[in-house]
Amino acid sequence: MNRLKQNFTGIGLVKLLIYGFFLLFLIIPLVSVFLVSFTNEPINVFGSLVSWEQMQISIDQFKNATIDNFKSIFSYGSYFKGLINSLKLSLIVSLWVLVICIPIAYGIARTKMPFKKTISALCTIPLVIPTFISAYAFIIMFGRAGWVTYIYEKLGGEGMLLDPYSMTGIAIVQIFFFFPYALWPMVAAFKISDVSLEEASRNMGSKGWLTFITVTFPLAIPGMLSTALVIFAVSFSDFGTPIILAPSDLNLIVVDAYREIAGFFNWGGAAILTVIMIAVAGVVYWLQNYLLKGKNYDTLSGKPKKIKLSENKALTIPLAIFSGFVVLIPILAMGTVFLQSIATTWGKDPLPSGYTLEHYRTIFTSSLGNIQNSLILAAGALILSVIIATFVSYFVVRQRSTTLDFMTTVPLIVPGIAFGIALIQTFNTAPLQLTGTAFILVIAYSIRRLPYMVRSTVGTMKAIKQDIEEAAVNLGATTLTAAITVIGPLMLPGIAAGSILVFVTVIKETSISILMAPAEWAPMSLAIFQNVMRAEYYSAAAMSVILVVMVLVLQALANKLSGGNKS
Amino acid sequence: MGSVVVEQLRKDFSGVTVLQNIDLDIKEGEFFALLGPSGCGKTTTMRCIAGFESPTSGTIKIGNKDVAKLAPNERNCGMVFQSYALFPHMNVFDNVAYSLNIKELRKANLFKKIGVYTRMLNSKIVKYPKEIEKKVMDILEYVELTDHAKKLTSELSGGQQQRVALARALVMEPEVLLMDEPLSNLDLKLRHTMRNTIRRIQQDMKITTIFVTHDQEEAMSMADRIAVMKDGEILQIGTPTDLYSNPKTSFIADFVGTSNILPGKVVASENGLTTVKVGNQQIQSVTKTSKEDVQVIIRPENINVLSEGTEDTSNAFEGVIQFATYLGSTVRYDVKVGEHQIVVDTTYESGDSIKKNGSTIKLGVSPERVLII
Repeated sequence: MNRLKQNFTGIGLVKLLIYGFFLLFLIIPLVSVFLVSFTNEPINVFGSLVSWEQMQISIDQFKNATIDNFKSIFSYGSYFKGLINSLKLSLIVSLWVLVICIPIAYGIARTKMPFKKTISALCTIPLVIPTFISAYAFIIMFGRAGWVTYIYEKLGGEGMLLDPYSMTGIAIVQIFFFFPYALWPMVAAFKISDVSLEEASRNMGSKGWLTFITVTFPLAIPGMLSTALVIFAVSFSDFGTPIILAPSDLNLIVVDAYREIAGFFNWGGAAILTVIMIAVAGVVYWLQNYLLKGKNYDTLSGKPKKIKLSENKALTIPLAIFSGFVVLIPILAMGTVFLQSIATTWGKDPLPSGYTLEHYRTIFTSSLGNIQNSLILAAGALILSVIIATFVSYFVVRQRSTTLDFMTTVPLIVPGIAFGIALIQTFNTAPLQLTGTAFILVIAYSIRRLPYMVRSTVGTMKAIKQDIEEAAVNLGATTLTAAITVIGPLMLPGIAAGSILVFVTVIKETSISILMAPAEWAPMSLAIFQNVMRAEYYSAAAMSVILVVMVLVLQALANKLSGGNKS
Repeated sequence: MGSVVVEQLRKDFSGVTVLQNIDLDIKEGEFFALLGPSGCGKTTTMRCIAGFESPTSGTIKIGNKDVAKLAPNERNCGMVFQSYALFPHMNVFDNVAYSLNIKELRKANLFKKIGVYTRMLNSKIVKYPKEIEKKVMDILEYVELTDHAKKLTSELSGGQQQRVALARALVMEPEVLLMDEPLSNLDLKLRHTMRNTIRRIQQDMKITTIFVTHDQEEAMSMADRIAVMKDGEILQIGTPTDLYSNPKTSFIADFVGTSNILPGKVVASENGLTTVKVGNQQIQSVTKTSKEDVQVIIRPENINVLSEGTEDTSNAFEGVIQFATYLGSTVRYDVKVGEHQIVVDTTYESGDSIKKNGSTIKLGVSPERVLII
C-alpha cells in the first residue's frame, strides 16, 4: 500500500518517464535494427502500434524475413571482408599500443626518467583531439604534398614514407592517438604490482631485467590484457580515422555500414553490419569484465609499499627518448594542422610559403553557423543528459535500480555509427518521423554521452549521505522537494564537471554528427569533415584549431572543477 | 505534543526478523530512552516511528492517530540524526527554516511555490516573511545560536551543530521529538553539557521525546523511563531507579550499571529468606524464587568491607584483593572470593588507606541488597 503510494508520487512519475525515454530511444531502436537485419526493410514500429494496416504490413514483412543477410556475411562477400579487416585493424592497433605503452608506463610508474612530468602531461593531448582531425593531419604530413614526404625524398627516399590512405595509415593514426587510453591503466598496473615480490626475486639473486621479465611483467598481465581490450573496442568503434583515410578498395565495417545507409539506402545491409558491430563490441566488453573479475592479482598481497624508483641512467634515458618520440608525433600532427591554418599556401615544402589569418576570418564570416550549431546542439545534449543523469544516479544509488544502471552502460558498448543507424531506421517514417531533425540528433548525442555524465553524478550522489535526504523528508519535504532543494544543489559540482565532459565530447563527436546531422544544423565536426572531403584543407585546418582550442579550454575547466571538488 | 503507542511491532529485513513484540506506551511529555547495545533494534524502532522503515506488522499511533498510512514527511516527528544531517549548502538560518518553508510550500499557489523554491535554493534572492524570520530567530535564541545564524554549518563546532539540529527539529513543533544517539559524536565534557541542555529544553517545552542510546549513563541521567532492548526485543521497561534496583535479567543488571553476577543453586527457603550456594559460600537474599539454578546479583557499592574482628554475619565472606583502582570518591577492588571474581566499591574519604594487592579482606552484604534471578 505504502509502496504503491510512493510510486505515484512525483518521483515515481519521473522514474516512469526515464524508463520511457530509454525504451523509446535506446531499446526499441536496437531491437528494431536487429529485426531489420532479417526483413531487409525498415519496420515501422510506432506506426504498427497506432495503425492496424501498418501492423499488417509489418507482419507481412516478418513473413518474408530471411537469414540471407547473415548468410551473406559469411559467404565471403565484401561484408565479410569488412568485418575481418576491422578485426585485423583492431588487433594490430591494440597489440602495438601495448608494445608502445609498456616502456612508457614502466618509465612513469617505476623510474625517475628525465622529463617525466612533461611527458605525462603531453600524453593527455591525443585524447582531446577528434580522430578525424588527427587522420587529416596525417594526410597533410605524410600525403603526397606533405612535409614528411618532402624530407623523405630529400633524404633519398622515393614516393611516400608511408601511404596515409591505407590500412597501415589508419593503424598508425589510431596507435598514436589511442595509446593514452591504455597508458594510465598500465601505469596503475605497474604501480600496484607488489614491489616486495620484486625485492624477493632480487634477493634470490635475480638481476633487474630478469626480475622484470619473470615477476613484474607477469603480474601486470591481467591489467594489460584488459587495457588491450579497451583499445580493441575503441579502435573497432572508431569512425573518424577510417572515414577519412580508408581507400575505396579497403572494406572496414564502420565505413561499409555508413556507405550502405548514407550512399545506397540499403537498410538491410546497414542493419546486418550494425548487428555485427554491436555483437563484436558486446563480446569485447564481456571479455573485459570477465578478465577483471577472474584473475585479480592486485589484491595478492596487502598494501603496496612505497615504490623505489629506478635511477639507472642506462635505463631511464632510453625510456625518456622513446616516450618523447611517441608523444612527439601527435604534437607534430597538431602543429602541422596549426601551420596549415595560418598558411597562405603550403605546397610540397617543409614550411608554408607565407602566413595569414585569412582562413580564420573566412571561418568567422561564413562558417560561424557551424560553430553556433555545435554550441547549441552540445548545450541541448548537456541539458538533457544533466536532467536524466541526475535522476538516474538518484535511482541507481538510492533505490538500487540495476535496470537503469544497465541502461546507461549500453551506450558505452554500442559503437556510435551503429547507434546512429539504429536511430535513423527507427524514426524514419510517420508517426514518429524524427530522422533528419536536430531533436533526434540531440537525443543521440545525449544518450551516447550519458554514461560519462552518470558516472560523474553517481560519484557525487554516493558522497551525499542518506540521512541528509531523510532529514529533509523528516522536516516535511516530499522526495521530489528534497531532490530539488537538497540533493540537487549538493550534486552541483559533480553535475558541472560531468556536463563539461558531455559538452566537450559532443563537440568532438564524429560518427553521429556525420551520419545524422541535417544540413541546416551542421556542426563543426561535420563541416570539417566535408571540407576535408572537398580537399579544402585550409579552412578545415582553421576550424580544427578552433575546435581543439575549445575542447582544451573546457577540459581544463572541467579538471579544475572536479579537482576543486576533491580538496 | 502527543503520546506514542506502539503495539506488537515487528520488522523483517529480507526474511530476517530484526524486531518483534515491541510494545511501547509513551506518555505525553515523557522523556523516553531506548537503550541497548548496537544491533539491538533500537534505531530500527525509531525509524519505524519516523516512517523511514515500514513495519512488517503491528501498529504505531502518534497522538492517538494510526500513522501506518502516513508517509515520513506527513508524520510531524522532529528527528535529530546521529550525524546531525545538517544541509551543508545552507547556512544555520536556512537549515532551521527548512520545515517552515515546506509548510509554506504546501499551501502556496504555483506562483508562490516558485518563490519558496527559489528561497530554499538561495535565500538572498527571495526574502523570508516576518513570521518565519521571528520563529527561527526565537528558536535560535533558545539554543543560543543567534550570532551564528548566517554561518555555514561547517563553520560550527560539534556542539553548535548539534544545537542547530535540535533547533531545526523543534521549530516544526513536532508531535514527538526523536533523537538518534545525538551525543555520540561529542567529546565527554560537551556531552555532559548537552545532556543538561537537552533535558532543560525537553522539560521547558514539555515535548514527548524518544531518545536512542547505547550509553546507559546517558539514558539513566536523562530519561523518565527507559526501555532496555536486546536482539530485537524489549527486555524491560522502567524508570532508571527501577531498572537499577530490580533488573529482570542478568543482562540488564550488567548493562545498567556494574553488577557482580554469580551462578548458584538454591539450597533453602525459609523465614522469607532464600539461601543460595555460590561456590563454597552461602548467600541469603530476600528475593523469592521457585527456580533451583539461579543467578545472584550484587551491586558493587552494596558490598561492605567489614573491619577485622567483626562477628560473622550470615552474608559475610573473605576474599583476596587482586587489584585496587582509585577513582576519586570511591575505591574499586577486584576481589577473588573462592573461584569467583567480584567487584567491590567503597567510598573513599581523605585519610583512608587503600588496601594492598594480595591482602585478605572481609566482606558483607545485607540480604535486602542481594537479588536473585
